[in-house]
Amino acid sequence: MRKSLLDKKRTLKTVLMLALVTFFIVMMIRAIVGAYTLTPTSTAEDLRGLPLWEIPLVYMWDYAQHGWVCLGFAFTVSGLFAEFIPKSFMLKYMSSGKPIAYVIAMLIAPLFCVCSCTMVPLFSGLILAGGGIGPALTFLLAAPANNLLADIVTVQVLGWQIALADIVAAGISAVVIGYVVSRTPWAKKFEQKFQKNQMQATSVELVKEPLDERLWSALKFGGYLAKRIIPAFVVGLVAVSYFQAFFPSELVQTYLTGTLGVVSAALLAGPLYTPTLIEVAIGKALVDLGMTPGATLAWLMGQPYDIPNSLTTSRIIGWKIVITYGILAFVAAVFSGLIYSLLIEIF
Amino acid sequence: MNIKVEVIGVSPPCPRCKKTEENAKKAAAKLEAEGIKVEIAKLDVTAKETISKYGVVATPAIAINGVVKIMGKELDAGVIERLLRKEL
Repeated sequence: MRKSLLDKKRTLKTVLMLALVTFFIVMMIRAIVGAYTLTPTSTAEDLRGLPLWEIPLVYMWDYAQHGWVCLGFAFTVSGLFAEFIPKSFMLKYMSSGKPIAYVIAMLIAPLFCVCSCTMVPLFSGLILAGGGIGPALTFLLAAPANNLLADIVTVQVLGWQIALADIVAAGISAVVIGYVVSRTPWAKKFEQKFQKNQMQATSVELVKEPLDERLWSALKFGGYLAKRIIPAFVVGLVAVSYFQAFFPSELVQTYLTGTLGVVSAALLAGPLYTPTLIEVAIGKALVDLGMTPGATLAWLMGQPYDIPNSLTTSRIIGWKIVITYGILAFVAAVFSGLIYSLLIEIF
Repeated sequence: MNIKVEVIGVSPPCPRCKKTEENAKKAAAKLEAEGIKVEIAKLDVTAKETISKYGVVATPAIAINGVVKIMGKELDAGVIERLLRKEL
């Protein structure tokens, strides 16, 4: 009797959680199909007339009205991916040292890595396990650009064309850079320190958990991400609101258009340490002020070589390798931006 | 009966690893009250010994008696307790 009551409670819990997930998915599809805008619609003219303290409030309210569906969806789905993607299977392939490791590192791994707190340990783990510096670097470079949370927000804020370009360009350059860096003499020397480890197959034997518990931990992780990311996002929005109101659009139109625009966007994005979501928000403000699509792509791809990130990784792999991949990432960002500008001109 | 629990995390610990470790301690306390000995250790995911033992794992992960049971998520005390009881 008691047991059946417990079962009923669990079923109810599962149904409620599935309902929440479905709700966000349906709302998102509705927004996409109905082509509602999920981004703030305030323009510089709207904002400039307001008292200083009111600007961020109005902007944020504007954002909250449109953005909650997108963010809710992003956090829920990120949680689900983190929970349901078979991690140990992927990690085995990623540390195998075979070419498939690059593919997994580029495509699938970033999906469950939405927080740097899982990224850096995995990166160093891959290297120490003898998986090779190539796939590890590919993973490190692809993760910020191709993670689900960033992708969803990029699609909603900047449009699917630029988001798709970002995913493809960042993916390809991550693989190329990973491979090229792993061929350099100093990377080879570094790799020699770690022989390939033969893992004992018996030491990992994952336990299967019931669905309601898995759903719960997926949602909990989504909530955890929200708690970590939203405060930074709010600070970013405050900055962006002033930016949007007062940044002279002549500056953007001079320096962030054409070939010069691509180069300067790639240069600017690097040292500026901004979490991906804020980078997207600033990107949106710049686009509204007149930044061209090619420059926007270069701006989005400029993330891997920001200074704090490089500092952390240099402790693991040393400055030489960091500088090599930083320069290559900059070249890749400029190159992709130029190609994208060309493509847009043609079509 | 002795059970060995290893919480695999990063150092300095991330919030989720810390939480998992606390919950492992709670679960262990429950079993110890029943006279079962539980030994908890913390492993650094990037330490050489951890990698040669378990390979690359997503953090936080938990290993019981030398076998990784769950990886890549924060665990409740209840879940850890259930895992521990399976070993008895």
